[in-house]
Amino acid sequence: MINRPLRHVLALLMLCFLALFVQLNRIQYFQADSLRQHPDNTRTIQRDFARERGPISTADGEVVAFSAPVDGPLERRRSYPFGDLYAHTVGYLSFNLGAEGVERVYSDDLIGRSSAFQLSNISDMLSGQQPIGEVVLTMRNDLQQVAKEQLGERKGSVVALDPRTGEILAMWSYPSFDPNDLSGLVGTEVNANYQALLNEDGNPLRAKAYRDIFFPGSTFKVVTAAAALASNTVTLTEPTFPNASEYTAPLTTRPLRNFGGSTCGGNLLEILRVSCNTAFAELGAELLGPDRLSLTAQDFGFNLTPPLDLPGVVASRFPTDYGEQLQASSPEVPAGVFENTPLLAQTSIGQNDVSASPLQMALVAAAIANNGDLMVPHVVAEVKDRTGSVVTSVEPERWQRAISSSVALDLRDAMVNVVEAGTAGTAAVAGIEVGAKTGTAQLGTEPPKSHAWMIAFAGPPGRTPEIAIAVLVEGTDGASEQTGGRVAGPIVRAMIETYFQR
Amino acid sequence: MRPRTVELGLLVLASIITVAAYGLTSLGRAASLPADIGPFLGIVVALLMLGHLLVRFFAPQADGLLLPIAALLNGFGYVMIARLNPDLADSQSAWTFIGLMAFGLTLMVLDDPRRLQPYRYSLALAGVIVLLLPLIPGLGVEINGARIWLHIGPFSIQPGEFAKILLAAFLAGYLVDKRELLMVSNRRLGPLHLPDFKHFGPLLLAWGVALLVMVAQRDLGSSLLFFTLFVVMVYLATSRVAYVLTGIMMFGLGATVAYQLFDHVQRRVEIWIDPFADSKNRGFQIVEAAFALADGGLTGTGLGRGTPGKIPYASTDMIFAAFGEELGLVGATAILIMFLFLITAGFRVATQAVSPFEQLLAGGLTALLGFQAFVIIGGVLRVLPLTGVTLPFVSYGGSSLISNYVILAILVRISQRANAMPRTEPVEVEMVPA
Repeated sequence: MINRPLRHVLALLMLCFLALFVQLNRIQYFQADSLRQHPDNTRTIQRDFARERGPISTADGEVVAFSAPVDGPLERRRSYPFGDLYAHTVGYLSFNLGAEGVERVYSDDLIGRSSAFQLSNISDMLSGQQPIGEVVLTMRNDLQQVAKEQLGERKGSVVALDPRTGEILAMWSYPSFDPNDLSGLVGTEVNANYQALLNEDGNPLRAKAYRDIFFPGSTFKVVTAAAALASNTVTLTEPTFPNASEYTAPLTTRPLRNFGGSTCGGNLLEILRVSCNTAFAELGAELLGPDRLSLTAQDFGFNLTPPLDLPGVVASRFPTDYGEQLQASSPEVPAGVFENTPLLAQTSIGQNDVSASPLQMALVAAAIANNGDLMVPHVVAEVKDRTGSVVTSVEPERWQRAISSSVALDLRDAMVNVVEAGTAGTAAVAGIEVGAKTGTAQLGTEPPKSHAWMIAFAGPPGRTPEIAIAVLVEGTDGASEQTGGRVAGPIVRAMIETYFQR
Repeated sequence: MRPRTVELGLLVLASIITVAAYGLTSLGRAASLPADIGPFLGIVVALLMLGHLLVRFFAPQADGLLLPIAALLNGFGYVMIARLNPDLADSQSAWTFIGLMAFGLTLMVLDDPRRLQPYRYSLALAGVIVLLLPLIPGLGVEINGARIWLHIGPFSIQPGEFAKILLAAFLAGYLVDKRELLMVSNRRLGPLHLPDFKHFGPLLLAWGVALLVMVAQRDLGSSLLFFTLFVVMVYLATSRVAYVLTGIMMFGLGATVAYQLFDHVQRRVEIWIDPFADSKNRGFQIVEAAFALADGGLTGTGLGRGTPGKIPYASTDMIFAAFGEELGLVGATAILIMFLFLITAGFRVATQAVSPFEQLLAGGLTALLGFQAFVIIGGVLRVLPLTGVTLPFVSYGGSSLISNYVILAILVRISQRANAMPRTEPVEVEMVPA
């Protein structure tokens, strides 16, 4: 009499256990990898903590992270001889907090566990030694030092890379932090230091260079210029935009003005040289239209996450939704009129919802310098074993084709013109061909504050440039189109001089 | 084969597995066998032989699977507890001994479970009183937000573990009496045929007890288990789905109201839905358990080679995650299967039992073991919101171990009586053509 209901209860319990079994499979098999990679997961790092770990060094041979033996159960701790200089790239290795930066991404290489070591290190295996890897960065200590000195105690960021390979040469953001404060072995101290850093002004833990986005201001005009040249209706010399001190987009009555109410106009070469807002707004809103500008922005990497080999890289933003088309293409407005054409007039000059990381703006300069090929940016060049032979090396790889070679060459000429005759004269270096674009993103008028930007490239005259640079100095007092040149220009110049001194 | 021979063989197997696991754990941690492996082997064998002799003496014809499965679960649990916290291991071995004593005592005293039947209302009263003891000021202690502990001298006891046996016995007795009445339906509610509302008494009592436990003691897990026990036993007695549906509706209502009123209930549900939202604080247990399970992967890190100590409450509520880490999906599944074996063995005892009272009692107690395992493993794996109940025979805890050995003894006793008595039910005769 009880058998039938018992069978039902048994069946129910079996279903319950089946659910447990299914969930067990999900966690231990299907989600296992993502759970192991989860940023809150400190297990792997802690398990590997006592293992021997190779050093991290710069391209010019400076050791920026190494393990030193200590007494106690954890056996060794990580030291960072350059303090805050490489914190945002190298990161830290902490028993309590886990790992950040290169220490996290290249952990398996540092402890000799990556697949490359399994094959190549037979000698270590025979001698019974645990293989370890030395991770060599693409960064140059001299450039990194100059970036830090030049920015000083101004909040901001300096990113320099080789446009031909995507190798990051320098990447500095102020404020930074000392990773030695977090790599200690006394948990309570480390946690207190971490809390203090979290509460500190300017969020020093955050690598502005690739984890934060800012209004790019006029530096974005090179993207608009690229879209214009790619459209085949605009060349460096034709058409000519009217001289104006203000521009009113279709569907709005609010005019957009030039800095200081100045009057400007002319062909593309000229309006880029003087960074003419009214002309670029008209160019974007009436000649190019939403699709062309959005596509070119995306080809340069906007709205995508740059494949930099560091955790937490942020995507830069360019708005792509401009609503329905209200008027078809006409001789007066070749791009047609869209619901949000007034927004497009603003985004064409890097205002409104456009935001970019310093890394992204450096990539824009790099793509122009490298004939339109945008290379995958990376901070690690190679991994070596104990004997110094290379186990893996990171080969240059194209990320995106940003623009055609001819557009790139035109833009290079135009940006060189900006240095030679325009707003970026402060970046000029004798004997080197330098191209640049300034930017000033106004944050407020009372008191006037703005981000000062400059993006640039430099190389021997007539050759493919060897260095591309973005400099951002945040919240600088005063707001004029000269600000980017005056504030960011000298930093760019110092970086270029240092690069070519070698 | 005779059940005692099977049992002896399986117990030898269980002790070999337990001692091997103990040795492997030490090898995994320190690359050497534990110094006390000899004495440990002696103690394991002695304890299991004690259990075997108790059954052989008091219930020679009982089912031979129940004790070995429980012993293996107990052994596994001990190995993990010893690996996580040697201090707890000493008391867990003492609790195991006391548990076996309680097992023997129950077998000895309870020669016929039906003798409990006349005392059903006293049992219910005793059950409720025992359950409420921790609420008495000065006697009860609140640990981790749940007021379910009694401190008496050096011991802390969780009386709820014993109350559930008393309440199961009460229900078995009550339902045997009232099942005829409960099976008659004379009301209709939509598509449901419902019995007279006055017969909903035990369900209402169950609801009241469950709510009381949830609200006054803040023990969501036990609350859920009590309610499940009551609903399952009513269903076993009546075969009426209407009771189950009504029960689920009432529990749903109670749970909804509790969710609205109590922070701790809301918190549990929030953590269940997204533990990663507050992974460093409130979701920490669940998140760490998931990380541990992910580290285990398919085959586990190996005993002694993982870091299950990182999981909060690894030796009690979260012990299943510790096994998942070191034994992997394979080992964790083996534990699930062991519980299914235990449940199946228990239900077989219930079907073979000689009296309706024993059938209900065996069915109810087995379901209790099964659902308790489900509730805590489900909590660890995020199938259900996490509620703190022990994993039967595996988790650290004296009250839990003793009460589960008492349940085991009752099942063994009912099985012995079934096997000792000649079958009274008519046996179907197959028609064989001449």
